[in-house]
Parts: sequence; C-alpha cells; structure tokens
Amino acid sequence: MTFTPTALEAEGAAGGEATGDPASTSPPRSGRRLTRTFLRDRVAVACSAYILIVILMALFAPLLVKLSGHGPLEFDQAAVDPNLGGIPLGWGGGISADHWFGVEPGNGRDIFARIVYGARVSMTIALLATALTSVLGVVFGLVAGYFGGRVDMVVSRVMEFLMAFPALIFMIAVLSALPAENRQALLVVVISFFGWPYLARIVRGQTMSLKQREFVESAKASGASSAQIIFKEILPNLSSTIIVMTTLAVPGYVGTEAGLSFLGVGVVPPTPSWGQMIASSVPWYAVDPAYFLFPGAFLFLLVLSFTVLGDRIKKIAESGEGRA
Amino acid sequence: MLKKLTRAPAALVAAALLLTACSGQNDGAGDAAGDDPVAGGTMHMLQNADFSYLDPARGWDGGVNAFYRLVYRGLTMQASGDAEDPNAIVPDMAESLGTASEDGLTWTYTLKDGLKFDNGDPITSAELEFGISRAWDPEIGIGSPWLKNTVEAPADYAGPYQSGDHPGIETPDEHTIVFHLVKPFPEFDSVLAQPNAVPFPIGTGAGDEFINDIIASGPYTLDTYTPGSLIKLVRNEHWDAATDDVRKAYPDAWEFEIGLDGATIDERLMAGQGADVNAISGRIQPATLARIQSPDLADRVETADAYCTTYMGMNTTKAPFDQVEVRQAMNYAIDRASLQTASGGNQLADPATTITPPAVNGHKDFDLYPSDDGTGDPDKALELLTSVGLQDGFSFTLDIRSQPAMQAQAESIQQALAKINVEVVLNVIDTSTYYETIGTPSQQSDAAITGWCPDWASSASTMVPPLVDGRLITDKGNNNLAQLNDEGVNARIDEIKAMTDLDAANVAWGEFDEQVMGLAPMAPLLWEKGVFLPGENVANYIPNTSMTDLTIIGLKDPSAG
Amino acid sequence: MIRFLANRLLGMVVVLFLVCLFTYVIFFVLSPDPAVQICGKNCTPEAIDQIRANLGLDQPFWAQFWTFLTGLFTGRTYGTGVNAIDCAAPCLGYSFQTSQPVFDMILQRLPVSATVAVGAAVLWLLAGVSAGLLSAVKEGRFADRFITGLTLTGMSVPNYVLALTLQFLLVVTLGWLPFPRAVPFSEDPAQWFLNFLMPWIVLSIGAAAVYTRLTRANVIETLQENYVRTARAKGLSPGLVWRRHALRPALTPIVTIFGMDFAGLLGGALITETVFGLNGIGKLAADSITKNDQPVIMGVTLLAAFLVVVGNMVVDLLYTAIDPRVRVGSAT
Repeated sequence: MTFTPTALEAEGAAGGEATGDPASTSPPRSGRRLTRTFLRDRVAVACSAYILIVILMALFAPLLVKLSGHGPLEFDQAAVDPNLGGIPLGWGGGISADHWFGVEPGNGRDIFARIVYGARVSMTIALLATALTSVLGVVFGLVAGYFGGRVDMVVSRVMEFLMAFPALIFMIAVLSALPAENRQALLVVVISFFGWPYLARIVRGQTMSLKQREFVESAKASGASSAQIIFKEILPNLSSTIIVMTTLAVPGYVGTEAGLSFLGVGVVPPTPSWGQMIASSVPWYAVDPAYFLFPGAFLFLLVLSFTVLGDRIKKIAESGEGRA
Repeated sequence: MLKKLTRAPAALVAAALLLTACSGQNDGAGDAAGDDPVAGGTMHMLQNADFSYLDPARGWDGGVNAFYRLVYRGLTMQASGDAEDPNAIVPDMAESLGTASEDGLTWTYTLKDGLKFDNGDPITSAELEFGISRAWDPEIGIGSPWLKNTVEAPADYAGPYQSGDHPGIETPDEHTIVFHLVKPFPEFDSVLAQPNAVPFPIGTGAGDEFINDIIASGPYTLDTYTPGSLIKLVRNEHWDAATDDVRKAYPDAWEFEIGLDGATIDERLMAGQGADVNAISGRIQPATLARIQSPDLADRVETADAYCTTYMGMNTTKAPFDQVEVRQAMNYAIDRASLQTASGGNQLADPATTITPPAVNGHKDFDLYPSDDGTGDPDKALELLTSVGLQDGFSFTLDIRSQPAMQAQAESIQQALAKINVEVVLNVIDTSTYYETIGTPSQQSDAAITGWCPDWASSASTMVPPLVDGRLITDKGNNNLAQLNDEGVNARIDEIKAMTDLDAANVAWGEFDEQVMGLAPMAPLLWEKGVFLPGENVANYIPNTSMTDLTIIGLKDPSAG
Repeated sequence: MIRFLANRLLGMVVVLFLVCLFTYVIFFVLSPDPAVQICGKNCTPEAIDQIRANLGLDQPFWAQFWTFLTGLFTGRTYGTGVNAIDCAAPCLGYSFQTSQPVFDMILQRLPVSATVAVGAAVLWLLAGVSAGLLSAVKEGRFADRFITGLTLTGMSVPNYVLALTLQFLLVVTLGWLPFPRAVPFSEDPAQWFLNFLMPWIVLSIGAAAVYTRLTRANVIETLQENYVRTARAKGLSPGLVWRRHALRPALTPIVTIFGMDFAGLLGGALITETVFGLNGIGKLAADSITKNDQPVIMGVTLLAAFLVVVGNMVVDLLYTAIDPRVRVGSAT
C-alpha cells in the first residue's frame, strides 16, 4: 500500500510515457470534453462523491456532532460495562439511536463523533502534504530538467539521497524524538520532505524531453526568458502529469498519516485520528469488531477512492490527449 | 522503584498481596483438582517486552526481579509466592536473617554449606563480597541504589574492577560476611534481598561478558539469549535443592518468548494450542475479560492485587498548585469511577484513595476526599476553588506518557476537571524519555501522571517517603514530583525510619500516609490489579503484580504440549 | 563501461556517506544523552561525566562522527579498562540497553526478516506477473476488469488493516492458520509455511498490485510494437511470439524495479513484523524506537539505506546490461 514508493513511481512513469509524447503535437485540449467523459464514468463519480462526503464531514464536524448529540471527547460511562473491562453495552459495539456508530470501549466516547473529527485530521494533513509535495516536486523537477548540468546533478543527487532513505523508519524515529507541539504541521513537513522526489523525478524527465521540442526552441529563439519558457511553455504541458501524479499521491499521504498515528507517533491525543482509532482498536478486534471496522472502513474507502480517482483521471487524460 | 511498567514485561510485573496469595492458594487447591506441579517439562512465558538487563546489578523492576530469582541467589530474599506473608523477607543463602550489632551499624550473616555456581565452584563469602561490590561500579551498578545508600564506602570507591576490595564489607572466613552501615537501618535484610546483592565469581562480570554466559547461582542457567526475542534457561546442575528453602524449580527448562503483541498473547493463551498449554503471561488485556467468562476459561483465571499506585503528582512550586486548597479540590473533582472504567473496569483497577496500596504492609484505609461511588465531588471542589478566588477555573499542563492506558486516564481527568472549569492541557512525552523529563524539576510541567511501587512490600518505608521527602529533591532523577518540602513531613520520616520494631513502624507509616494526604501533594488515582490466564497444564501459578514467584511454578503433566 | 562503473560507485559512496552524516546529525541533535540512559535511574552528575568521557561523548561532533565512521571499517572499543567493550568491524554501533553490538543484533534478526522478505517477494512476483499477463491477454474483458479492480483494492488497503482483518478471520474466527510465530524451516516445514503465510500476504499485497498493473501495461504496449506485429505476420506460432518477443521485453522493467523494491522491503516490513510480533529487523527498529535505543535505530536506518543504494546500483548495472537502449552514463 502506501509505503511502496515505487508504486507511485511506476504509475508516474507509465503515465509519463503515455502523456509525454502526444503532448508534443499540441497543447492540451479544452477541459469540457474531459469533464464530460469523467461524469459518464460512474465509478469515478462514486469515488468523488465519497471524497466529497468526507470533506464535508471534516468541514462540518462541529455541526454534525451537535446533531448526533455527543462530542468527540465526551465520556459516556453508561454505555460501557465496568465489570467486563469496559466493553460497550449492546449490539455492534454499542450502536444505538444515541450512538450511531457505537462507542469506544473503556470510556464510552462516541465513535461517530470521533470519525467525523478524525476526517479533519486525515484530510488536512493529506491535502497539505500533497500541496507542499507538489510545489517542491514541480519546482525542483522543472529547475533540474530545464537547466540541466550542475543544477541537475545537485538536485538529482539530493533526490537520490532522499529516496535511498528508509523513510518510514526515519519518520518514526524523528517524530518520536521531537516534542509533541504542532504535531500536525510536523507531520506535513516530514511526509513532504521524503515525498517530493518522486514527483520531481518525473517532472524532471518530462521537462528534459519537452525542452527539446520545437515550440520551446522557437520560444527560446524569440528571446523569451527562462522563467517565461518554464512557466508559459513547459508547465502547461505538464499539467496533466501533475494532476495525475498528485491525485495518485493523496492516498499515499492519507495512508502514511494513518500509519504514523497507528504506530503512535502521529497526532497527539485526545485529538481523534483514524489511524490512532485503529491502533487502539487492535486489542479489541475480537470482542468488539465494530470498533475496528468503522475507522478501518472509512480509511480504506478514502484511500481506495483517491486511488481509483487517480487511475481514472490518468486514463481520461491519456485518452483525451491521445484523441487530440 | 520507578514504575516503568512498559519496559518491564507486563507479564512479570505482578504482585499479589496477602489476600490474593491466600485466595490464590485456595483456588489452586480447588480447580487444579489435585493436579500438583511435577518436576520436568518446559515452562513457556509469553511476553511483550524484553527484560531490562540480565545483569542483576543493572536491572531493577518487577519483571526482571522475578527472572533473577530463577538464576541468582542472595543472602536473603522475598518469601515464596505461596507463603503466608509473601511480602516477608526470609533467608536464602544465609543460615538466618542478619544479626545487627547493638548500635545497628554492623550486620553479620552466615552462609549455608554446599552452595555452588553453575560451573561447580563453591560460593563463599568472598564471591558474595565481590558480587555485591559491583553495585558501586559507576557503569554497572545502575540497578537498586539501596546497597550504596546503606553500606559504608569511601566516596571514591568505584566497584571491584576499578577500586578492588570493598572497605565496608568484611569476610572473616568463608562462611561469614559482615556489613558496616552508614547509619542504622533496621530493614537491612530487605536491602540484601535486592537483586544486586548476589555473588559473582571473583573477576567476572566486567563489561558485557556476562551477556551470553551468566554465571548462575540459582536453579537455572542461561542456555540461549537472543535479545528482544528469546531466552532459554536450563537447569543449573550444581544447584542443590537442600540448600534452598524457597525455590522449588519444577520445570527442567524455561522459554521466554519475547516481542509478542498483548492481544496475540491473550489469544494464544485462550486457544491453548500445542505448547501454549504450558504458557504463562502477564496481565490480560481489558478486551480479553469479556471472553474468559466461559466456565473452562474462568476456571483457569487467577487474580492479583495491586502493589503500585497510579497517581497524579501536582507541582507545588507552580501556581495554583502551591495552594493546598487547589490540590485538595483536584482530589475531590477527579472521577475515579471513570478512571477505573477507562483502565479496564473493576476487575483490573480499584480507585485509590491512599498512597500505600492495600497489598503493601503498612497500608491504612482512609479517604480524605470522599464522593458518591468515587465519581468525584465537583461541588466540594468548586467550593474549595472559590475559597481561593479560582471559581472561574484555570488551566494547567499535565505530563503524560505516550501510551494508550495513560492517555485514557489523562482524558478522563480532562473530562472530570472540565466540570469545575479547569482546563487540562496534555503534554504527551515519548515513553523512553518520560521519566527523565518529569524527574527533572526544570522540565516538569504543572502535574504528571505516573506510578510508584515499593522497593520491598514488607513495609511502606519505600512507598510514601521517596515521594514526599523534601530533602530528596534533586535536579535529575527526582521522585518527589510535587517538590513538597514540609518540615513536619521530613521530621516524621526520620522518626519512623529509626524505629526498630518494624510492625510498629508499619502502623506509623499508615498514619503518615494520611498526614501527607492532608497536604494533597498528589491525587492517588488507581490501584491497577491483575487478571491472569495461565495455560491449563500450569500449576501453582500465583501471580503477583509486583513480582510473580516463578520459582514455585510447575507443570501438571510435563509430557503435555 | 569501466568509467561508468567507477562513477556509479563513487556516487554510491557519496550518497552513503551523506546518509551516514545526515542520520548521525539528526540523532546527535535529537536523542537524549546516551550517558544519562546508561547511567540509569539513580544517577549522579559525576557518574554521567565519567560515562561521557569513557564513551567519548565529550568529544566534538566531528571527532565522534569520525570515530563512528572508522568503527564501521576497523571496529572500535567503547570505554577503557576492565569495562571496555569491543565492537568488532563492521561496528554499526553498540546498544548499551541490551549490551550487544548493533551488527550482531541485526544478524540475529536476519533469518526472520529474510524469510518474510523473500517469501513476500516470491509471492508478489508470481501473483503480480501472472495476474498482469492474464489481464493483458484478456484486455477489456471481465477478467481484466476484475483484476484491475482487485489491484486498486490491493493498493489501497493499509497493510495493518489487512493484517488485522486476516488475523481476525483466518486465525481467531475460522482457526485455519496459527498465530504467526517464527518457526524455523528446519524444524517443521509445514508449520513454517503456515506461520509465515499471513505475513507474506500482507507484505506482498501492495507490491503485487503494482506489479500486476505494470506487467499488464508493458505487455499490452509491447504487443503493439512493430516487431511483434512483424513476427506475427511472419506466421510464428502465438506461443513463440509471446515467449520470444513479448514477454522478455515486457518483463525487463519489472525485473529492474523488483531489485529496488526488494532492497526497500526493510521499511515495509516494520509494520508487518510489528503487527504479527515477528522478531525481524523491522520489529527491532520499531522496538528500539519505543525504547529510544538510539544506536540500534541508527544502525538499522543505515543498513536499510545501504540496501536501497546498493539495490539501485545493481538495478542500474543490470539495466545497462539487459537493455542496450539505455545510454551508458546517462544521469541517475
């Protein structure tokens, strides 16, 4: 899943080859037809809908929690059985009209409220990390690919160095040693720090090939500055690759955040996060499977939706451009 | 002893008090249906964490102390787990407990005959002196501090490897060993029952050479050791049962399987496949409780009372905890019933109202800050806060360890104190640096959740005083988290410690506990008990949340599994 | 070619050196004083100073880093006198918490990790390539769409979620498999297989999905190449066309990527080994992080980086050897 970087790279490479070549003939087509193709794809729409739901959940968490009647930190002693280790009373981990998704064993906190608030953490961290990674990846990839020579060598070495790093081990070690304040910001920085080379490498490769294309050469001949060429000529031609790559990167970051929280170095309690909920459900999975199933299913579906969406977007981008 | 429960294998960290030990015995007689332990077979121990150190001069926690009992012997030791008073200190290699001189400064012991190391060499007073003096080596002697605290030695004495013979220990002949103390210490027998008071062959044990070749004096010796995954013990052929009144050593071998997830351990014990019928482990997970209600599993369950107190220390040097009313208000407001449920419910925890747990000799039962069903009394708390002008509440930072159980407790406190407008900010500290941080007064926050266990359970002298003695506040490794420095408290500690009648001293410690709680430097939270599920072929397993006696356990049928 | 090799080797050494330096700096800055940890619970400032001096912790950063580097090649001795501790080359460091050289600890864990890694790699290669081929052959048909759906699922399921789900279903509920334990192959081959099956599945699922997709894409692409069409037109039997003209070029990139993925397994195995309680190198890293046993974390990090760097290099060389189209000396 999320910790195989070659997954991303392989996808990117495949996408890169397919989108890179046809792009030479003309700039990308207007988006309308692509949008229409997309809307006709039922799976893609379903995935987008799920992602939208999670985003709305995250945005309106306080409101939803008011509706359900329990905050994410509120204990409910009446919902658990103190005689049996605090196991939730009732069917399905305490599912009831009062607690829609049941309660946490031990303290009776409302799982619905924690899922809703946990969505905030997952989405914020994943989207911020994606944004940061994209900016870093695109900038360094463009610079290295366009200027080549020594600049390229330095950037390439740095990328090679970062990709050689056992990122997960290192992230855990660093996060566990750092103080807990601003853990969310720290997570974004650490994830992006090890994430950008995968995008940069592909952007670099495509920039290198685009650089030799006629339209770039002619722009150069007409006296455009490097910045103009990079941003006006090359970047637009990379847009589909970047969109595909970033969409494919989001699920990785959702998974990484959850994984780090699962390993106990993610967001700090009592802030709810899906990964941390799964971690605390581990001892309970045999007696109270619902406790594991809710965050597990929400997380899996979110990662799946982003993965499928990325896949579809890639296909549409390829076919759209191919037909052009 | 610092409660480093995560590092100690939860498995062994157990201690049953008087009551449990007795009931344990009865249970054993009842459900074992005449199945007494028999010599032979391999006992399996499933545990999550590795032992801290195999060198008894370095390790010092409930888990590893129980392990040391299998391989090392001392002059005295804690009584067997099935004894009438398992907290008592009894002779081990010594003929009898020590004889103190009139001034209480010289303690003399006589060794039994026929004591041998696993290589066949005899154990004499010289090897004992050598082994004991290892505690002074600055790099090795990092375990129990009690020898260094009580036996007289020059300030520059740095252990046998660097400074040679210990000047404070005399060995007039092979069987006699004499200790000279810094000042009278009526409980010196307990000091010699600490794990670092054991013999080593002269000249051995430097550096790390012991790691793969323990020189055992107890009934077992090391066969293989793979740190973090496996320890195998086999019989020490030179251990003579006739010289040992406590250890039974039924199994032929021990296997410690390390690195298993707590939930997996429970699953394996419940399933009891193959060799797992011969397995024991530590406390079960709260989640497992609901699954051991079936009659066949319920029959196997053993329980043990708590030997440690989980408490919230309040830093009296920081406002508003410098006001006794505020600290008392915290004691009133905390919802111990919710803490109990969050920590596994009433089978795994009891609400604590005193510093000394009931299982430790010297406990006095009292509750200075009562509430209905222990759910907290916010009204009373608010009244106290109002009396010092804090009716609008305040905010404080609570240090906690990044460990689920403690986080659950902190979240419960957060919820309870929110009712009196007190905001609790959690400062989650990595497990490995937690004790270092809260033990450094310049780094600790307003309050911290931690635990404390007595160094020996035969008295409360190591339970309450280390937490409140103002003269023990240090820049690093500080245990007096409240930084309470009260003259009355300090003076009373000295008075009780001087008492030579240990029973009378224990009564005094109980009253002292109450005196301290009047000042509320801490809020006792919980006594975390244990529920254990030994394999069905295991006999005479009497768990204990301070130190389970592994030396009396055996298999009913050594050929099973 | 020799120049290319030399260049590549030099690059590798530079990257490894940087990895060492970076790791050392981070741990040097972040971790708590090892002397305090060695000193234990009842420590005095004097004792700490003495331990620091013995271990050379009072030396400036560069001196310590140099000692560490030379220790890798020549071994080193910690402390002096009777308590001196030897750490033979390659000395990756010494764990004072377990009183073991880090390299020995890693070696002890190697059999379990190797079993997990090799088994998972075999599984994902087999599953990935065969599913990919099937998918390519049946392009557009139900089997293809089904496999594509499966791969997307496989790529998306977090491995700890999968691990727990499998354990709940196969072990706890159905009782088909035992709780994974590191049973040596020599002891009981059948038990060995059953015990390692779940870890293999969990560790390989993500990679298997990616390899399926790669194989599918490559095969479809190769089948459209001119030379394959020509071969077909020449009337060669489909089997021969497949074997000689389609499979080999389509699988070459897989082999090369496989090298890198395999070398990078150490990181992925961390979660799998932890969830299943298998005492491999990944679990060692996780445990050491919990205990803050800094030398071990550093040692494992370096080892993992070393594997990835060497893996990359081998892949590059292989690629050059297999595929003449790759220009010798091209960057990265």
